Amino acid sequence: MVCVNHLLTSNTTYGEAELVALLQQRNNQAFTYLYDNYSGALFGVISQIIANKEAANDVLQEVFINIWRKIETYDLSKGRLFTWMLNIARNASIDKIRSKSWQNDLKNQSMPEDVNTLENQSVRLNTDNVGIKKVLGKLKEEQRTLIELSYFQGYTHEEIAKGLNIPLGTVKTRIRSALLQLRSMIG
Amino acid sequence: MNINEYISSGIIESYVLGLASAEERAEFEKLCKEYPELVVARNAFELSLEKQAFENAPQSPASAREGFMNFINQESLASKSKIITMENSTSGKSSGPRWLAAASVILLLVAGYFAYQFYNQTKELKNANRDLEAKLKTSDSVLNRIAEEKKVMSDPKVTVVNLVGLAKAPASSASIYWDSTSANVWLLVKNLPQLPSDKQYQLWAIIEGKPKNLGLFDPQAENKVMLKMNNTQKADAFAITIENRGNTGGPNLEELQTMGKPKL
Repeated sequence: MVCVNHLLTSNTTYGEAELVALLQQRNNQAFTYLYDNYSGALFGVISQIIANKEAANDVLQEVFINIWRKIETYDLSKGRLFTWMLNIARNASIDKIRSKSWQNDLKNQSMPEDVNTLENQSVRLNTDNVGIKKVLGKLKEEQRTLIELSYFQGYTHEEIAKGLNIPLGTVKTRIRSALLQLRSMIG
Repeated sequence: MNINEYISSGIIESYVLGLASAEERAEFEKLCKEYPELVVARNAFELSLEKQAFENAPQSPASAREGFMNFINQESLASKSKIITMENSTSGKSSGPRWLAAASVILLLVAGYFAYQFYNQTKELKNANRDLEAKLKTSDSVLNRIAEEKKVMSDPKVTVVNLVGLAKAPASSASIYWDSTSANVWLLVKNLPQLPSDKQYQLWAIIEGKPKNLGLFDPQAENKVMLKMNNTQKADAFAITIENRGNTGGPNLEELQTMGKPKL
């Protein structure tokens, strides 16, 4: 513990495996470190999906509590810690905007109950200039719609295929091609 | 499967961003174990995504931090108090068995100590016993020999013939104990000089002017005790010569050392 305290009280950044080991031991200082180093990036991810600052703040806190609860299930071999947390943040954000309470709060703009209205929803882009959203505008509208629906609103490929009346295979192919283009833009 | 095509199909981006279906995820994770290049490509995309997210990261709100810190502090307090509760209940319930456990451990240690002591003592006693046994055997054999010699010497049927040194070896002397009834012959060496290793003494019985071999011997080798020689019913005289080791021929009378006649 002496060694760990030393690491944490200094400004050392340390290896992901080391950090994960401490997190899985429920080390408070490791979680403090995690928050101080990753909360900004995760808040960015959340803000891409939830424009409302206050709601995004609530989700961020919820995301860190989820990370604390689920840290045992993180598997280093399946991907980086940030990727794992990014997906927790994205899922929590989508759960939030899909929740009944959220939809009731948005009196003037409810989420589409009927998948046929998806297309109208898809063009709603907020002005956040971070992450994937930053370069989303550079995509063709057709591709932008698919990314918006799948990544930012969490619709499954099946739901999108049905809603937009496009074959499932085409949805999959177009989303992948859009992702590859996004990658080339952010990389 | 063409792994390069797979890598550039968009599956990596789809997987990392959480857009892949359950089947696609399972396949991807399976292939990652088979193709290291797939893991390398995945990692590269993850890093670029992470880098991009950090470069554009907004400041996170302080209220979320405060909320999270309160949460982990409460959780760690809760887990600590859980441990204390468990300790109390454990010590309360099992004070009897714990006392017994301590006693049994002490008993075990004491028993172990004694067992070790006994083991060592037994080992020492066994060694001492073995030494004594060896000494006893030696003593027994010495005693038996002495008793045998005593029996021979005190046997009234046994005639003693003193062999005296001749011109070649005036200091030499030996005695023959001869039981003319049983024909047993013993030789007691009193003084015979040591010989070179290729030579041996030989005892002869002279019968009607002819030598009879009664055996080759090395007095030093036999530790100067009474030697049992070949039997002879008759002997006009006994003589000792020096012969080549293992002599099978007749006596070398030029090397006659001692000689004596039985008093008949």
